[in-house]
Amino acid sequence: MKTRIDSVEEITRSFAGQGYICSEQIALAIYLAAQLHKPVLVEGPPGVGKTELAKAAAAFLEAPLIRLQCYEGLDESRALYEWKYGKQLLYTQLLRDKLGGMLADTDSLEASMERLGDLGEAFYSDTFLEPRPLLHALRSDEPAVLLIDEIDKADQEFEAFLLELLSDFQISIPELGTVKARHQPLVLLTSNDQRELSDALKRRCLHLYIPYPTAELEAQIVATRVPDLDVRLREQLVAFIQHLREQDMKKLPAISETLDWARALVLLHADSLEHAQVADTLNLVLKTEQDVSLARELLPAWLRKLGKR
Amino acid sequence: MPTRRLSEFVQALRGAGLRISPDEASQAMDAAALVGYAQRQRFHDALALTLVKQQQDRSAFEETFARFFEAEDPRSDSPQDSASSMPSPAAQPDPASAQTPEAQQAEALLASTPEQLQQRMAEAAAEMDFTQMEVITQQGIYTRRLLMNMGMGAVDDRVLQLDQGSPAQQARAEQLRQWRTRVREQAAAQVRRQFLLHGAGKGRALREQTLRAVPFRDLREFRDVQALVRKMARRLASLHQRRTKTSRRGMLDARRTMVASIRHDGVPAKLFWRRRPPRKTRVMVICDVSSSVSDAARFLLQFLYAMNDVLPRVRSFAFASRFDEITGDFARYSPEVAVGQVLDRLSGSGTDYAEMFRAFQARCERELDAHTTVIILGDARNNYLPDGAETLQAIRRRVKQVWWLNPESRSRWNSGDAVMDRYLPHCRLARQCATLNDLERVVDSLLGALD
Repeated sequence: MKTRIDSVEEITRSFAGQGYICSEQIALAIYLAAQLHKPVLVEGPPGVGKTELAKAAAAFLEAPLIRLQCYEGLDESRALYEWKYGKQLLYTQLLRDKLGGMLADTDSLEASMERLGDLGEAFYSDTFLEPRPLLHALRSDEPAVLLIDEIDKADQEFEAFLLELLSDFQISIPELGTVKARHQPLVLLTSNDQRELSDALKRRCLHLYIPYPTAELEAQIVATRVPDLDVRLREQLVAFIQHLREQDMKKLPAISETLDWARALVLLHADSLEHAQVADTLNLVLKTEQDVSLARELLPAWLRKLGKR
Repeated sequence: MPTRRLSEFVQALRGAGLRISPDEASQAMDAAALVGYAQRQRFHDALALTLVKQQQDRSAFEETFARFFEAEDPRSDSPQDSASSMPSPAAQPDPASAQTPEAQQAEALLASTPEQLQQRMAEAAAEMDFTQMEVITQQGIYTRRLLMNMGMGAVDDRVLQLDQGSPAQQARAEQLRQWRTRVREQAAAQVRRQFLLHGAGKGRALREQTLRAVPFRDLREFRDVQALVRKMARRLASLHQRRTKTSRRGMLDARRTMVASIRHDGVPAKLFWRRRPPRKTRVMVICDVSSSVSDAARFLLQFLYAMNDVLPRVRSFAFASRFDEITGDFARYSPEVAVGQVLDRLSGSGTDYAEMFRAFQARCERELDAHTTVIILGDARNNYLPDGAETLQAIRRRVKQVWWLNPESRSRWNSGDAVMDRYLPHCRLARQCATLNDLERVVDSLLGALD
């Protein structure tokens, strides 16, 4: 992992090189997180590139990205570690004879117990430990970027369980003791605001809110990601998307949808926004029937306004 | 920028309603030290990243930041501005006539340039502790103290002294008075800025306490009460969200139960459940919106709809002279707007509870079931009409529980044309609900009773 970051600009440049165009605030958040060793909680509407940010950060820091997708019912055994019970059973079966031989010369129960006691530790050792993403991140040989995706989908208990990891970069496992991070990972948590996260969690993190991008930024993003799109069309497209976001939509179009649409228009060899084409491809941008019909109503007036300019 | 300024800033943010722990404050200082103070925007972003943990707090942060760092930012133009609004040296300094050391001191102060005066005021202000200011009326005292610290007392004496002297000296005293007034104005402005930063927040906490205990009737006068209602609702919602998450039942999670049972040699000592059942509870609120009760109804409805994420299935009805469902108004408009509309549409006088029960029963009987809680908000003043308690009883039989909230105090529940006694036997719970505090308690126990 890269250990020295010279400036915020360096991050912005590297991100741009990877095709991730971001505002300065986002780069600053990564800079501070890396320098202060604090986790970042990234919030914002869906599709503004929260998960992408983690990927870009990992590429920039030249660190492996370890991802933990959260969902309702996620628990320690899937997030942290699990014992390989099957393997343990198999080993005891296979080693039965060996054990018999080992215990043959002991005469009392106590003596057998004692001998077995030394052995018992072997069954709760690394051989039988199945590490899950969090443990991977802590025991990784090089510092990693740990992405805990959609933390708002996990239960409150899991959130509480994460607190130890987030503040001290360590986690307690009853059989093994406390596992401390070999190298402190850069932790990014994302949330879609499905539920309010606890104050304790927020307190431990830097808080980054990524809003929908400004027209200028969005045009830059489209230009980087879909370079084949005509410049004039790009401006029209971005202006239209920005206009849609001001409407009372059920689900507002995000950057990912803008990009999908831009790619579709390239495929269709469009050179300007025309009524028929826009109406036909609207479902790439808007994902509910209500929104599509609302947009269809708005469309003629908007295109007329565009034509006048 | 010294740490002290930053911790004052944190103090001011706390005053503006943000909750900032000492740990977060120290993070902010680390971050500020890291990015430096040269680029204002970056400095601002770094503080925002470390101190603003909820999007709702953003605007309060922006406002405080602008005010705080504009007031004394050494790089902005404002010091020059305020220096130029300081009076120039008082006309015809007359050090010769000053015999006592006090008078000499006064003359020195009178001769200072606007910049020097500004500097002097800043030094005097730095010696004072403005964080103790709590209410707006304290500004006078603080202004006076600030002027004294600047040494203006000597000027006061000098003016008095000159008043006793020759006509020329008296004319000069008049000039000095004008000069003094302008300095005083500047001092007052300085104190006002400090009050907005520090005192306003404490005042707010005090005010919030008062607002919670004021009867609904008088509450409408206050502008910031909406924000308070939302805040209280959010707090309750997050409290109860936690409570519902811990109790779980549902389908057996066979995979996890088996895996866990391996370590007990196949004995499923611990059971795991796949999912908690979705909450089926339904809340129906019937509000009396006649003139005497409408204020309470306004706040109850706002409160319930502000808790949408823990109470998703609320249907609401209102009645005065007419009875109607108002759920739709809340689906379409923000609670504040919706309440106003409903009151316009339905309010009036002449409530008839028996008629209301019948209308409610006719409209909703099919949907009343064992998961339903019916909340009635009203003063039970029935204009000496038949009370219709038997209809309420019929409703009660079909639902989980009926709650009655009465904005009047218990002693008046049966006075005049009020007939609470007739309804009480059918209500699982009846409470007085006259202030936001009452309301919070009621909604709290409502959420507890739903689980």
